[in-house]
Amino acid sequence: MTFDAKAFIAEQVEAVRKGVSGKAIIACSGGVDSTTAAVLASRSLGDRLLAVYVDTGLMRKDETNDVARTLKELKVNHRILRAEDEFFAALRGISDPEKKRIIIGNKFIELFEREAKTFGADSLVQGTIAPDWIESGGQLRDRIKTHHNVAGLPANMKLKLVEPLRDIYKDEVRALARALGVRVAERQPFPGPGLAVRVVGEVTPDRVGLVREASAIVEHEIEAAAKEKRLTLPWQYFAVLLPVQTVGVHGDLRVYGQTIAVRAVDSIDGMTAVFSKIPLDVMDRISTRITNEVPGVNRVVYDVSNKPPATIEWE
Amino acid sequence: MRVYVVDNGGQWTHREWRVLKYLGVDTKIVPNDSPVSDLKEVDGLVLSGGAPRVGIDPEKMGKNGDYIDAFSGPILGICAGHQFMATHLGGAAAPAKVPEFGKSVVKVHQPDVLFEGLPDQFEVWESHNDEVTMLPPGFTALASSPNCSVQAMRHRDRPLFGLQFHPEVEHTQFGPEIFRNFLRVCENSS
Repeated sequence: MTFDAKAFIAEQVEAVRKGVSGKAIIACSGGVDSTTAAVLASRSLGDRLLAVYVDTGLMRKDETNDVARTLKELKVNHRILRAEDEFFAALRGISDPEKKRIIIGNKFIELFEREAKTFGADSLVQGTIAPDWIESGGQLRDRIKTHHNVAGLPANMKLKLVEPLRDIYKDEVRALARALGVRVAERQPFPGPGLAVRVVGEVTPDRVGLVREASAIVEHEIEAAAKEKRLTLPWQYFAVLLPVQTVGVHGDLRVYGQTIAVRAVDSIDGMTAVFSKIPLDVMDRISTRITNEVPGVNRVVYDVSNKPPATIEWE
Repeated sequence: MRVYVVDNGGQWTHREWRVLKYLGVDTKIVPNDSPVSDLKEVDGLVLSGGAPRVGIDPEKMGKNGDYIDAFSGPILGICAGHQFMATHLGGAAAPAKVPEFGKSVVKVHQPDVLFEGLPDQFEVWESHNDEVTMLPPGFTALASSPNCSVQAMRHRDRPLFGLQFHPEVEHTQFGPEIFRNFLRVCENSS
């Protein structure tokens, strides 16, 4: 037996219809999970559903435009909120990864509650999937990291939570997305806290800008190599900005610059992962481009850890 | 067939449920303080791994001991479930000299129904700080890895099995086959 997407759609469209009596908003980042949940919930609720996408300032290059296009194509009732300043202000001076995740989770809920009030919704639909609540822990289970959509929720939240994808994993969500005709079905996972957990140390607009440019290069080069069949597209591939400065030489001058770690892993469900064996000439292009095109970066390293013992994201 | 997963707080408890579901079994995750009387109609049990350190925190293992004592069907203990099974029945578990995280290789040196149809050496995924250091009476060790001598054990008469590695995760080779073999034992004894 494998995953039966059609049966799952029928079951969950009905469950959401039963779970939401009035109106609902759905937190939608444009990723596979939340977009799929949005399409599913929209089948149950139609105009009684509003998808809210928040531009946190922590998104990847051109992401906001891309998400707006996807939601439009899928004919899901939606709204785009711009809240960069609010997020950066809340994250000022914070470098602890768990604090970052909690601040971001709380901020999201604050915005969603505001939107829900305006829209007249009493429920919040989320695209939470199994690893989110598993890794967030609770009772016997240890907390590996605070997933903003689970453990980042404030205890006094007024909205009723509806999570149709709680018991499935990414590979199953992708099957579901394909069955629902969601264009982003094969998109790589991108965590809700966004680039904030890919900037180790303090999150500032400048540092997020660096990792955004570096990530765009990693994505572009790996996708190009995959298109040429030089490698199989990894499960996830991105850049991390480290809080480490090292010495370099640029045009006979000493520089003391930033370090980017490249991370690429192969996985099925995100619960175990192995680092991807990227061909060295592809790594070479990535490294040369990042150190030439991203100002301030003079060193690139490759992360060769599996999960466990490491996790996929650095924070 | 009905096989329940006892949740000891592992990161992969839900994966065990998923593998069983995919194998077409009627399955459910139950908290580890569920009374044994809830398990009357159940054909087999999986005792999940968990955050609890069995040697240090045995009380976090809830009613696992009752299940081992009173449940008559087959039981498969995984990681913490395996270590608890050993200590509960008179063996011992302690912090591993070399904890294993991620990829390892096990060698099966005692053929058993659990490994039927499998090669005698295959790749598995580990995630443990403790390990079984002494087998309980009546148990036989079935497999080992370079850093852990009891990767698998079973009771000679009762259908009690313990695995230190994690057959439920995607990167362990032959994981579903191991579960299928366990389900065959469940089928035969129900």
